[in-house]
Amino acid sequence: MKKSKRFIVDRFYQFLITLISLIGLVVLIAVFLFVINKGSHLLSWNLLTGDYFANVYNGAYNDETVTGSTFTAPAKLDEETYFSTRWGLALKDDLDKEGHHYILVVYVDKDSPLASLTDKGDETSTVALANGQSLIKVITADNSIILSSQGAESAIEKMEEATGIKDIVFSTAGKGIRGSLITTLYLIVLTLILALPIGIFTAVYLHEFAPKNNKIVEIIRRLIEMLTGVPSIIFGLLGAAVFIPIVSSVTQATGGNLLSGSLTLAVIILPVIISSTEEALKTIPDEYRHASLALGATRSQTTFKVILKSAIPGILSAVLISIGRIIGESAALIYAVGTAIKDEIIITERSTSLAVHIWSIMSGEVPNFELASAISIIILIVVLVMNLSVKLIVRKISY
Amino acid sequence: MRTNALQNQKIKKRNKLIDQVTQTGLLVPSILSASFVILIIVFITQRGISPFLPSVYGDMSVDFLRFISSNTWFIHPNIYGIFFVIVNTLYVVLLAAVLAVPISVFTALFIAKMTPKPISHFFQTVIELLAAIPSIIFGVFGLGIITNIVKNIASIFNMQTAGGISALSTILVLAIMIMPTITLLSITAINAVQKDIENNSLALGATKMQTMFKITLVSAKSGIFAGIILGIGRALGEATAVSMVAGNAGTGPDFNIFNTTRTLTSTMLLGLKETTGLDYDIRFSVGMILIILIIVTNLLLNVAKKNIGRFS
Repeated sequence: MKKSKRFIVDRFYQFLITLISLIGLVVLIAVFLFVINKGSHLLSWNLLTGDYFANVYNGAYNDETVTGSTFTAPAKLDEETYFSTRWGLALKDDLDKEGHHYILVVYVDKDSPLASLTDKGDETSTVALANGQSLIKVITADNSIILSSQGAESAIEKMEEATGIKDIVFSTAGKGIRGSLITTLYLIVLTLILALPIGIFTAVYLHEFAPKNNKIVEIIRRLIEMLTGVPSIIFGLLGAAVFIPIVSSVTQATGGNLLSGSLTLAVIILPVIISSTEEALKTIPDEYRHASLALGATRSQTTFKVILKSAIPGILSAVLISIGRIIGESAALIYAVGTAIKDEIIITERSTSLAVHIWSIMSGEVPNFELASAISIIILIVVLVMNLSVKLIVRKISY
Repeated sequence: MRTNALQNQKIKKRNKLIDQVTQTGLLVPSILSASFVILIIVFITQRGISPFLPSVYGDMSVDFLRFISSNTWFIHPNIYGIFFVIVNTLYVVLLAAVLAVPISVFTALFIAKMTPKPISHFFQTVIELLAAIPSIIFGVFGLGIITNIVKNIASIFNMQTAGGISALSTILVLAIMIMPTITLLSITAINAVQKDIENNSLALGATKMQTMFKITLVSAKSGIFAGIILGIGRALGEATAVSMVAGNAGTGPDFNIFNTTRTLTSTMLLGLKETTGLDYDIRFSVGMILIILIIVTNLLLNVAKKNIGRFS
């Protein structure tokens, strides 16, 4: 009797622990579902390659008379798309990334007069209305104004009726992340170039060359270990107080820039590279070293030609972990680079990585969840792929 | 014969020289790697004390005693107070740890002791992935989901929240973020417990659960505590996600979990616009306080860990 009661209590505890253990899984699934639900509809090639800032163009069509030629509509237009046979133009009502209504240009015939307009801002150059852009305003020859708020259908009707078109204002799509994507790639490459040699050489020194039981070596080890406990925002302060002035004095940079960001990130990933490389060096059997030395090689030759080669998988997993950290890092970069989103990337100027891009659009007056979630999906995919590949590499090494 | 020996000696000497040069050459990056912690402390302290020096800011310099004791963050033009921020930071981190520790320890027990290998592998991967998710994404998640949950909880208790942005949201986000750290270290600690003593306990008639709670956990507590120390360190320094859900209250300390709060890191990160001047330099002072707080907390917890280890 007593025994069965004990086992019921036991079962109860088992059930409780199982239930609590599911929390981690639930949170992980919730995070994924949330970003996919909010952001997946934005994921497209245009998002990756587009500019963040919309450019507004004001085009003038000088020849006000009717062209006479008629265009034929392309075959694959859907029901909600309206086509003008006179201008060779197809328009559609759409919602932008913040949910506001606008008129989307779906198709412009390559012979359409709208495909080569005089730029009113710069009379010598031409601008072209192209698909993917948004139509803002059209002024017809008889000075009636068509606004995007009237909707695509009425805009097409009025353009068909008009004797000619004087002015046409349109803008590129915007809210793309090409700039942040390029910045992130720059940061990854520059950071690895800076951190890998220092990290690997430090690990080689500590494991292969450093005298045993030496006070100074012990202090070096402790100081590097302490680096792992420093929060990323403090690294940001280091970047702002040390690296920005250094880079500014060497280049023409005036404030935060990608180089100071890379230097900061290099310090952040240094402990990861050192410890992974050292772990890899530890797994290499001493026989390798003895064999190489016995053949007459110096310790330097042994280290660089035999030992380091065998440590490559370990170094590779360190690189993958580092890329994951660089992509996810935000607090340090907010201080060491800045939060200004850019389309043109120059390494001595400010711009945002993908993570800081999210921070920028979320910390404004109206947080943009859709775009933030879409970028989050990209970051999550990269981070997960990196982590799973590291797991695979580690498994390969240990078996 | 003799020339041969001489040559040998020469080669040996040269090789020794090469090795010595390499060794010295490799010492340079090692010292560089080690120097960054010192750089951090020196330069942040230098910049952090500048707001308090009349020689730097003249009449605009900040009163240090008032800075560390006052309970209003900012009064125009140069009065700052950080005491309540320290209290609020410790408060949310403590509550996050209270929430995260049992969940982490139970999850670790589940993964290490209660499931067959494939399932425990799967759950361990889940926890590792959770640990790898960057804090900015937890910030987006916190602002999108957790603040809504908190808003609903608050309305049940007839409390007001600023759209869910509150101390409770901060606590929940922090708890989620430190849970993987504590879990992974606890798994290592639990796996290191000798099988013999567990088997002895089972042989003496204890149930599986009694053994787990009274033998396994007690033996692993030092390692679990190390995980908790690491988790609390992470929570104190966590910036991005916390800043997105904390709300940066102007005064305090406030122990109502439904009100907005202000942590050291959110103070440093939010409202960052200029990169010169008092408003910028005072953030280095906050960073300096954060470093001191992390070091002191770590030392105290390590003393506690030693005492726990002694009285087992």
